[in-house]
Amino acid sequence: MTDILTARNVAKDFGGTGGTLSIIDGLNLAVKKGEFVSLVGPSGCGKTTLLLCLAGLQSLTRGEITFKGVPVMEPPQGLAVVFQDYSRSLLPWNTNLDNILFGMRRVAGDARAKRDRAAELLEAVGLGGFGGHYPWQVSGGMQQRVAIARGLASESELLLLDEPLAAVDAQTRADMQDLFLDLARKFNQTCLLVTHDVEEAVYMAQRVLVLGPRPTKVVREVTIELPRERDQLETREDPAFLAARHEVLSLIRSMRTRKAA
Amino acid sequence: MNESRRIALLGLLVPGAVLVLWQVVAFAKSSPLFPGPIEVTQAIIRNWHEIVSNLGVTLMRAAAGFALATVIMVPLGIFLGRVRWLGEAVSPVIDLVATLPPPAIVPLVMLFAGTGDAAKIVIITYAAGMPLIMNTYEASHTIHPMFSRVARSLHLTRFETMLLIDLPSSLPMIATGARLAVASSLLVSITSEMLLATNGIGVYLQRSQENFQIGSGLAGIAFISAVGIVINALAYRIEQKLLFWHYRR
Repeated sequence: MTDILTARNVAKDFGGTGGTLSIIDGLNLAVKKGEFVSLVGPSGCGKTTLLLCLAGLQSLTRGEITFKGVPVMEPPQGLAVVFQDYSRSLLPWNTNLDNILFGMRRVAGDARAKRDRAAELLEAVGLGGFGGHYPWQVSGGMQQRVAIARGLASESELLLLDEPLAAVDAQTRADMQDLFLDLARKFNQTCLLVTHDVEEAVYMAQRVLVLGPRPTKVVREVTIELPRERDQLETREDPAFLAARHEVLSLIRSMRTRKAA
Repeated sequence: MNESRRIALLGLLVPGAVLVLWQVVAFAKSSPLFPGPIEVTQAIIRNWHEIVSNLGVTLMRAAAGFALATVIMVPLGIFLGRVRWLGEAVSPVIDLVATLPPPAIVPLVMLFAGTGDAAKIVIITYAAGMPLIMNTYEASHTIHPMFSRVARSLHLTRFETMLLIDLPSSLPMIATGARLAVASSLLVSITSEMLLATNGIGVYLQRSQENFQIGSGLAGIAFISAVGIVINALAYRIEQKLLFWHYRR
């Protein structure tokens, strides 16, 4: 399988009044087509900066990011982002259906077919009856599902997910994880999930990349030896799941104690 | 009687009392320089045609100036908000120009545009344009970075971003600017007539005053305030309709 996204020796500094701050340094990663990869790291390690860099929304200080073999300078065609802050990423003056259609502006096809497809996606995220509602008329979890549907609607080869479930409640979260896995499989969607939640990272992905403290880079790669079919109860009790969770969690914890010391 | 009816009645009672008091004082003074509501009403009926045609002229100019200001200043404000360096360069100029009271530019405008309708519309456009450009620019250059990220990651062109993201998200502040602009276009429309015109409600008011026809003058003022109430109500309706997503949130 070919790498759809690669990062080689990526570094990102921010210049400030107190000198430059190095956020990312010497980061390498690769995502293959069809994969579901999680990026997990301690809070404040620069996950969001990394995601913005990968999405082409932030310039690099050093190194190179390629998408489908082409260096990323601007957000590339075929890469979509689902942002954490759904309340700002959805347009409040558009209905839920129109928000999804908004994600399809660069998709080929006539208006009628697009509308059908948008309605289909809304159905797929369980919001069949809410196309005519506005985002602010539905709950947070529902808004994030609209944002996810918009991400899928762009028919992108890669979906970058910036802690999309961080702001929803635990119950909704578990449901949405399954919904997400289901959709990713159904649409054969390559996904890169950025999260601070270790359990979620392991549960969702086939591969977990662990980020080190700032300036961050990938410090370990953990392959999740589980079937693609996941289950909230069984998977979470599976020895392979527990082993992976333990490995990632203890690594992140060791970073935290080292920082404190 | 229920609560809302009682409030409505009270709302009628106070102005009614003022009218009665006014009439009583007018009777007591019995001077042509102090007409009561009855005389004013008679003046309204007598001068109906004259007031309506003059006010029509004034409103047309105000509307033209306001429309022109909107068409120029809103796109300009959005553009300056998006093209950051240009906005930074131009905004001090806007702030400087905005402190100039519109009547102060009347002589200058007369020099270039004469004293006709064009000159008045230019002055009104200027007066209405300032709050519009300031509010539009303020809104568009402080747009949440998230909106810009969404626009970029959805691969919108710059024009699409301005039209589909910047403009709607700036609308609440543009509406505030527009409300100020409506008020000042009416104000400046009338004052510019007093300075340089042969028709319009401003001229009518000035003539009434110069001929000591206080009743006729008050009739004109009553008309203006009635029109003001109607315009305000209309603007409010339009704003609620356009910004339902902002107010019902």
